[in-house]
Amino acid sequence: MKKIDGVIWRESRYVALWVLILSILMQAVFLVLSRWDYTVLLGNLLTAFFAVLNFFLMGLGVQASLGKEEKEAKSLMKLSMTYRYLLLAVVVALGILLPCFHTVAVVVPVFFPRVAVLFRPLFDKKRGVNE
Amino acid sequence: MLELAIGIILGCCALGAGVAMIAGIGPGIGEGNAVAKACEAIGRQPESKGNVTSTMLFGCAIAETTGLYALVIAILLIFVAPNMLINVLMRALGR
Repeated sequence: MKKIDGVIWRESRYVALWVLILSILMQAVFLVLSRWDYTVLLGNLLTAFFAVLNFFLMGLGVQASLGKEEKEAKSLMKLSMTYRYLLLAVVVALGILLPCFHTVAVVVPVFFPRVAVLFRPLFDKKRGVNE
Repeated sequence: MLELAIGIILGCCALGAGVAMIAGIGPGIGEGNAVAKACEAIGRQPESKGNVTSTMLFGCAIAETTGLYALVIAILLIFVAPNMLINVLMRALGR
C-alpha cells in the first residue's frame, strides 16, 4: 500500500478540528433553544465523523490520481467522488430514517468541512505575515 | 381521489430528487479537470507537489459542496418531504 501524503493528514486534521469546533457550537445552539437531547448528539457524531472521513478519502483520491496520466486521473477522481457520495447518501439516509438521530443534527454537519475551507485563507494570510 | 393526490405528491418528490441530483454532475467534471491540471502542474514543477496537493484538496472540497447540497436536498425530498406533504394534505381534508 502507498504511503499517505503528509499534506493529506495535515489538512484532514485541520478540517477535523473545525468540524469539532462547529459541532460544539451546534450543540450549544440546540441547548440554547432547549431542543437538545441525545438524538442531537448522536446525529451530530454520525455525520461529523463521515464528513471528515469523506474529506480524508477525497485526499486519498487526489493522491492516487496525481501520479496518473491526465485522462486516467480524471476518471479516477470521478469514480472516487461517486463512491464517496454513495457512502454519504447511505449515512444521511440512515440518519434521517432512524429515530435515534435528529434530522437537522444529521444534515447540518455534512457542510462543516466547507466552512473549514472558507476560513482557511484567513490562517494562510496570518502564516504568510508571520513568515 | 386521495390516492391520486398522494401518488402525485410521491411522484413529484421523486422527480424533484432526480432533478436535484443533476447538480451532482458538475462537481465530478470540475474535480476531474482540476486533478488533470494539477497532474500537469506537478509534471512541470515536481517540487511544488505539496502546495499543489494542498490547494487542490480545498478546491475539490469547495467544488464538492454543490453536489452535497443536491444530495441532501434529494435525500430530504425522498425521505422527509412525502410524509410532511401527505400530513398537510390529510389535515387540509380533515382526516
